[in-house]
Amino acid sequence: MRGLLQGSAIFVGLPLFQRALNGNGTALACGGVIPKRFGIFFWGNGNRPERWIPSTDGETWELSEELLPLTNVKSKISVVTGLSVKVPNLLPHTSGAGGLLSGMTPLSADGVESFAGPTIDQIIAGEVGGDTLFPSLQTAASDCSGESWNGVNSRNPPETDPYALYERLFGPTFRLPGEEGLVDPTLGLRRSVLDSVMGDISTLQARLGAADKARLDQHLTGVRELEERLARLEEDPPSLESCGRPPTEPEASYPDIDGRPQISARSRIVSDMLAMALACDQTRVFGHYLTDPVASPLFPGATAGHHNLTHDEGGDQPEVHAITVQIVAELAYLLERLDAVPEADGTLLDNCCVLACSEVGLGQTHSIDDVPIVVAGGLCGTLRTGIHHRSYTGDNSGKLMLSILRGMDILAPSFGAEDAYTEDGLSEIEV
Amino acid sequence: MLRPSLALIVLLAGCDTPVEAEPPFLRGEQPAYSAPAPVLRRLTYSQYTHSIDDLFGAGLVLPNELEPDTRAAGLYAVGASLTSISALGVDRYESAAYAIAEQVLIDPARRAALVQCTPVSAADADCAREVLTAVGQRVWRRPLAASELDTLVSVTTTAGSTLADFDLGLSYGLAALLQSPYFLFRVEIGEADPAGGYRYTSWELASRLSYFLWDGPPDEALFDAAASGVLLTDAGLQAEVDRMLEDERTRRGLRAFFGDMLRLDELDSLTKDPTLFLYMSSDLGPAAREQTLQDLDAIVLEDDVDFRTFLTSTETHIDRTLAALYDVPAPVREGFGLTTLPISGGRRGYLGQASFLALQAHATSTSVTLRGLYLREVLLCQELPSPPAGLNTAIPEANAERPTMRDRVAQHLEDPSCAGCHQLMDPIGLGFEHFDGVGRWRDTENGHPIDPSGSFDGDEFVDAWGLGQVVADHGSFAPCVSDTLLRSAVGRTLADEELALAVWHADGLHQEGYRLRWLFRDIVLGPAFRTVGVVQ
Repeated sequence: MRGLLQGSAIFVGLPLFQRALNGNGTALACGGVIPKRFGIFFWGNGNRPERWIPSTDGETWELSEELLPLTNVKSKISVVTGLSVKVPNLLPHTSGAGGLLSGMTPLSADGVESFAGPTIDQIIAGEVGGDTLFPSLQTAASDCSGESWNGVNSRNPPETDPYALYERLFGPTFRLPGEEGLVDPTLGLRRSVLDSVMGDISTLQARLGAADKARLDQHLTGVRELEERLARLEEDPPSLESCGRPPTEPEASYPDIDGRPQISARSRIVSDMLAMALACDQTRVFGHYLTDPVASPLFPGATAGHHNLTHDEGGDQPEVHAITVQIVAELAYLLERLDAVPEADGTLLDNCCVLACSEVGLGQTHSIDDVPIVVAGGLCGTLRTGIHHRSYTGDNSGKLMLSILRGMDILAPSFGAEDAYTEDGLSEIEV
Repeated sequence: MLRPSLALIVLLAGCDTPVEAEPPFLRGEQPAYSAPAPVLRRLTYSQYTHSIDDLFGAGLVLPNELEPDTRAAGLYAVGASLTSISALGVDRYESAAYAIAEQVLIDPARRAALVQCTPVSAADADCAREVLTAVGQRVWRRPLAASELDTLVSVTTTAGSTLADFDLGLSYGLAALLQSPYFLFRVEIGEADPAGGYRYTSWELASRLSYFLWDGPPDEALFDAAASGVLLTDAGLQAEVDRMLEDERTRRGLRAFFGDMLRLDELDSLTKDPTLFLYMSSDLGPAAREQTLQDLDAIVLEDDVDFRTFLTSTETHIDRTLAALYDVPAPVREGFGLTTLPISGGRRGYLGQASFLALQAHATSTSVTLRGLYLREVLLCQELPSPPAGLNTAIPEANAERPTMRDRVAQHLEDPSCAGCHQLMDPIGLGFEHFDGVGRWRDTENGHPIDPSGSFDGDEFVDAWGLGQVVADHGSFAPCVSDTLLRSAVGRTLADEELALAVWHADGLHQEGYRLRWLFRDIVLGPAFRTVGVVQ
């Protein structure tokens, strides 16, 4: 089967197409044929703030040591520092992740920690996910659980196997725009099976208590999403000009090398796939998880696991710093892939907002008062790029989330709850 | 928050010194018991694969991962009643269902076990109904209603007719069975008991039995006992549990329970720097798990003796990989064999095994904190608070003045902001410092002697050898295992009103010489396993 899936030509940009339709491409890009996209790039265990925060802020600034890998996309990112996650920091790593991405205080019960509400990616997917094959995609570069939640105990795990991800996105059901599809009778049969499953779920729900009923609601949502995807596969794919297969197929597996997981190789092959999944409009929302909070993989050159080092390494933690630089290099790879895809009179990256973040600032103290954030892509010109915005007052990180939601054309009156509640966006990064 | 367990260890927020309970008293009458409302458990990964093995024969290949399990209250068995199935999980269960159906129908032996009729057409509804009636009851663990069968037959004959092939059509009917919540979840809701209150139905009780004792679905004999209703009688249930405990599949159930409780699945992703640990290999984690599970099998099922010897026995099952790590002769050339570890080696019991020592350690070093924390949380069911934010946690580098880990964590243990909790973990973990990050013995650390002595809740120990005995004798150890088994059996945390029942089971275990096999039976015959509250 793998032989049959070999990719064909890629990145077939047709700038004439846009010029014919639109003078500057902007109107076309924003809400027209080319949609807005949102993604999360997440890594665990934070950074070294003193080597991350650029020394000056505003429009005239230079990349810091830890941000240096972003040189090629500097004009297309905004670095946002000094934001504070306004939830009680009671669950190390989880408070920061849940507070940042959901704006709500995570719960801890029965020895299991859970976010209390949906994360920003799922809020967005709920609004814009209905038009694509996948309402959202969760991917990972290591064996992650991810930070995408729909609510209590309702987590969206990422696909951690690059090859399985390839099969999902570019396997037998994938068609290039305009490519003749075979009429596949099994799609309809699979849908009839899902109909029967949905009938079972509904019948069963009537006999259950409220909590279990809600759990089956989630199951039902998943089945319905799959059924809609199968229906969509019977239709012609969207005709986006830059849609293609990724340049290379992933390996069947990525075993550890000398005890070190292949985080970089996995992240890059997944980034290639994400770029094409977005270019083909298979999804408009993604979360890419490099590592989980508290994960302690051995990075190249490190003498101990990442989480282990953030706590135990003394001094100014040169190893933690070196790992952070490696992480940012993977962010840079993803952003450069997105920026290599032409769309309208710009690139795919210009029509995205990629929120790159970790759940803590200084990992050693689990600080959530200055969490590392990079906002990449201008989201069709709705978000400012090319600046370093620093809050000197520990602004609520939820304000940034609200700006992103509004940039995605979602009419959200507020984001977050309790002390993390806000009705205001972060005006400094809004256009 | 974990409930205060039978162990009655109360660790207050500030990590005060634990207060130990009175030793267990001999068990009295079964306490009054009122069961909480039912919970809907999703099949765990191992329950799913064991179900497929038992339904269609072992050896089928799943094409992908399944929905990941989540531990709650320390167990996947409990997380299974809290979580659901994500969108990705739906995809994965669908792929698995078709892959299973295809492999079953393409294999003449497997197909023959499933399809006894000869279809007269691609859309033979009678043959489809016959097959689906029989396999449906086994997959959903109860007889199917006529309307349910109608739907499945319709799916099957439509597909058979579209694809002009009966077997291809049947694969869609099987896929519908395997993606249904009636398979993926354990629907145990209960019914009014004529004698008063609510009880599980005989079909539900059959599933509870088989997944608790076997980690898999009921067999024909158990279904028969359910169908006749004999399972609902005391004598019928006793006969079944006694029969089932003699069955080979109980080994699977025991493995599933201890794999869950001791977190042995994490051995699959053991990450170690092989340049520092010469005995690290990709075989090590799985071999270490096998050692632990074979030892437990021998203690609990083969020999049926005091399970606390799990922490103190020098008899163990190892292969060549582990023999090399432990520096003893391999007992057999291939696979695992029984050996007796030399007293001079300083290693005995589970706490001398790589499944504990390597897992509760870092990638490049030991971890006295992880090892101590694991003992308290997993083996004694104690809960320690999370570390507060804002602390500098750096451990000083090893140097001439601080050559050993004991020297390096000394500051932790004096600084009041750390000591409150770390005093509960690190001094225990220091007892294992003769074992490096994968569990290999070392005489010295950085050329300096290691002092493994200490005290654990008031009991002194000289080294890891003695520490094993201290934990085995700890007043919380046996009750913790008993409570954990009860949580696993009911698939949820225990309500405050159930504590008296938990104590009663643990007291029975004490009275019966700590034979766990007895406790499995006792829990099955107890009220938490058989009765249920009203759906809320």
